[in-house]
Amino acid sequence: MEQKILVRDQESSSSPSSSFFFFYLCSSTFKNLFTEAKNTIPNPNPIIPLSPVSKMSNQKKRNFQIEAFKHRVVVDPKYADKTWQILERAIHQIYNQDASGLSFEELYRNAYNMVLHKFGEKLYSGFIATMTAHLKEKSKLIEAAQGGSFLEELNKKWNEHNKALEMIRDILMYMDRTYIESTKKTHVHPMGLNLWRDNVVHFPKIHTRLLNTLLDLVQKERTGEVIDRGLMRNVIKMFMDLGESVYQEDFEKPFLEASSEFYKVESQEFIESCDCGDYLKKAEKRLTEEIDRVAHYLDPKSEEKITSVVEKEMIANHMQRLVHMENSGLVNMLLNDKYEDLGRMYNLFRRVTNGLLTVRDVMTSHLREMGKQLVTDPEKSKDPVEYVQRLLDERDKYDKVINTAFGNDKTFQNALNSSFEYFINLNARSPEFISLFVDDKLRKGLKGITDVDVEVILDKVMMLFRYLQEKDVFEKYYKQHLAKRLLSGKTVSDDAERSLIVKLKTECGYQFTSKLEGMFTDMKTSEDTMRGFYGSHPELSEGPTLIVQVLTTGSWPTQPAVPCNLPAEVSVLCEKFRSYYLGTHTGRRLSWQTNMGTADIKAVFGKGQKHELNVSTFQMCVLMLFNNSDRLSYKEIEQATEIPAPDLKRCLQSLACVKGKNVIKKEPMSKDIGEEDSFFVNDKFTSKFYKVKIGTVVAQKETEPEKQETRQRVEEDRKPQIEAAIVRIMKSRKILDHNNIIAEVTKQLQPRFLANPTEIKKRIESLIERDFLERDSTDRKLYRYLA
Amino acid sequence: MRRSSSKKKSAESVTTDLFRSASSKASTKEMDRIDHLFNQYANRSSNLIDPEGIEELCSNLEVSHTDIRILMLAWKMKAEKQGYFTHEEWRRGLKALRADTINKLKKALPELEKEVRRPSNFADFYAYAFRYCLTEEKQKSIDIETICQLLEIVMGSTFRAQVDYFVEYLKIQNDYKVINMDQWMGLYRFCNEVCFPILLSPDLAASSANSNCFYHVQISFPDMGNYNPELAWPLVLDNFVEWILEKQA
Repeated sequence: MEQKILVRDQESSSSPSSSFFFFYLCSSTFKNLFTEAKNTIPNPNPIIPLSPVSKMSNQKKRNFQIEAFKHRVVVDPKYADKTWQILERAIHQIYNQDASGLSFEELYRNAYNMVLHKFGEKLYSGFIATMTAHLKEKSKLIEAAQGGSFLEELNKKWNEHNKALEMIRDILMYMDRTYIESTKKTHVHPMGLNLWRDNVVHFPKIHTRLLNTLLDLVQKERTGEVIDRGLMRNVIKMFMDLGESVYQEDFEKPFLEASSEFYKVESQEFIESCDCGDYLKKAEKRLTEEIDRVAHYLDPKSEEKITSVVEKEMIANHMQRLVHMENSGLVNMLLNDKYEDLGRMYNLFRRVTNGLLTVRDVMTSHLREMGKQLVTDPEKSKDPVEYVQRLLDERDKYDKVINTAFGNDKTFQNALNSSFEYFINLNARSPEFISLFVDDKLRKGLKGITDVDVEVILDKVMMLFRYLQEKDVFEKYYKQHLAKRLLSGKTVSDDAERSLIVKLKTECGYQFTSKLEGMFTDMKTSEDTMRGFYGSHPELSEGPTLIVQVLTTGSWPTQPAVPCNLPAEVSVLCEKFRSYYLGTHTGRRLSWQTNMGTADIKAVFGKGQKHELNVSTFQMCVLMLFNNSDRLSYKEIEQATEIPAPDLKRCLQSLACVKGKNVIKKEPMSKDIGEEDSFFVNDKFTSKFYKVKIGTVVAQKETEPEKQETRQRVEEDRKPQIEAAIVRIMKSRKILDHNNIIAEVTKQLQPRFLANPTEIKKRIESLIERDFLERDSTDRKLYRYLA
Repeated sequence: MRRSSSKKKSAESVTTDLFRSASSKASTKEMDRIDHLFNQYANRSSNLIDPEGIEELCSNLEVSHTDIRILMLAWKMKAEKQGYFTHEEWRRGLKALRADTINKLKKALPELEKEVRRPSNFADFYAYAFRYCLTEEKQKSIDIETICQLLEIVMGSTFRAQVDYFVEYLKIQNDYKVINMDQWMGLYRFCNEVCFPILLSPDLAASSANSNCFYHVQISFPDMGNYNPELAWPLVLDNFVEWILEKQA
């Protein structure tokens, strides 16, 4: 017996088989309801279930067969047309905003059934045709709108279209999911947008009008009018909704072009009429306006594009002219401390390629020019302290500029440093002056300043020091100045002295400061020695006091010992000290540096007025002579003291010719000391002060010959250093060519001084002559080390 | 040190020379004649041809004692000490020149000059000329005046302009009082390698127009275009070139 399992397709009839919710089209609840509706849609694919019973019978009967139920579905031939008419009417109603009477369920079912009965194609094309027709109508309406209402009308219609499109999409949901999916056609919603694009936005009579209206509004806003930004935003949003390419092609591109044109004209106008500062203010304002515009009604992606347009037109194209603008350009800003303008310039120029480079180049060349004038102007280098102070001020100023206006930009700092390095070394006396500046500060300048401030000043000096190429020259001078400070007891703060030495040590290494430290050690040792000396000679507490500072040869700047005849009272003491010192330190030799000493003398003048005179050792020798005679000629003084003529003249000049301090008188009265002059004690000498300091007429700055001498000493000192560097390098490299050896030697000596290539060459030749090196027999550029 | 060792060597070579010459009667005879010639000029007590002998030799050869050919002869003999020829040196030189009479020697001189002027020999000869002038023990450099004379003799005919300029420069500069071997050899290379500009003062122009040396060809070079200071020339040449350029400017 054959058994047939029948399964009825419940969905084959066109009448509803189960009850649905009725649905009034209302967009807010639409989706929610729709999901419920979907859940109740019967399974569209009929399945033939195999019941367990059939399995049982299958075991009994062999030839068991299942056949599909042959059910003839009679389709109304006009079914598709009828159904489509229903849907078409509904679409019309939706567009006419008359959708309240529509049943979603019914419409959905109809669309569903159409797809199910393979009328998807008809449904799809019908939907497109209907919508197109509608949109064509709308575009006519929009076009008809006059003037200002045009955009509003467009916006209104666009909103309507969107609403309608949403409903239609929901009705055609099934088609969207199955038919369109399988045929790979455009989905309903994007299709709706495309249709809007093609029929409305690209409608010839709307297309250009729309664009012009928009650009016009932007232009109006740029010139200061208030526009309806909300409307703008909606319309622009429409472009964005229609797709990125539509936004870019139909709006962004022309917008950027128009902006470019606008700013080209405007920047030209500005640059003709404004100074640099104002121009930059305007440019900055424009830039923020554009950014603001993007934030309010454009695609955020446009920000970069529109700012680059403004940057290009307003800044990049006028960069050179702005920077070099007479009376208001970069140099002017720098000169007049216009930090705000400078900051603005930095921020704006940073946005364009080569912008900062331009600013930096101009700043550098200005700095170099300014610095060059500063260091080469003979007027300005008259006073070393002033000179260095000016350098420091400039440095501070540019530090501040870079800090406040240029965002502490590293590249600017480098430019600043290299510029300073460039011009400081233009003046060969810079090392000397910096040392003099320190000398001045440590002598008196630091009085009444806190330790912290002292550190600040010293740090600044170190900064200048770092720029010096000839650090060894600085060392030479520093040593001289330090020696004078220490020996005359003029140093204000021992801490400050030591602090600077430590700084120099960290900067240049132990070698650089070892001798300077040696000087400090000598001072300390001398104190102990003096204590020991007076301890072993208690009888000396009466009479003149001698304080000796024993200086190690080599640590102190060498000065030729100028001999002189000390007064008997002093030379006796000196002898005692000599024997004491040599008794405790065997194998040493002492030589008196009388040119570096000082003395305090108590003097009683004519009317019994007492004064304490602070004089140099030479002056003391001269004054002591007057204990035994009232009147002495120049020749007699020279004979008795044996002070070399130039020194003697200087010391007599300061004793006899300085007003208020002329403790002796000379005949004839004149400013200069002649060999025929004679001298006597000025009995009528008076002074408000008990202590009178009689300075020696000395030039603080080095004189020309002294300078030459120091220079020569420095050069001499460099020779062995260069040779040592050459030998060190050649010892490790064995063979090296000329250029490389010059480069390496220069590099090795850089921390101390800038070696002159010619001098290096000279040293190489000298080493060749002394058989340390030889030239290669074939390649003359090569040197060989001869071990 | 070097000197004594080279002496030892040459003594050995002399003995072998003697040995070889013994095998041939002709050469023995030739050597006899060379010895005879030596004795003609040698100082009997020192057994050396001393400056006096050399002067006599020069007058017999009809050349000046400052002539380059006498220096070439010394080079051929490998003479060690300026102004003196030892017996051994004499033999070495004359044998190589195949000259055993004064006439033959005279005729050999042009040949000798040709030989020396070959570039491969000239550099050696040039260096020899410098060493030949080192008369003191441990002397390493030669005073400017001697250098000028030596330069005149050695290169006066081939590098007229360079020598004139260099001598002029050496006489007015103050940086150098002596010239060492390195600088001397540097100058030789300079003359051979650097196109020398001739911005002539009238008298120099006249003299160069008369001579037919090859530096004429180089007159067209506007400046010392190919003087490359990076080639590690001795400093004295750097300064020399600078001086010339300054002079031209």
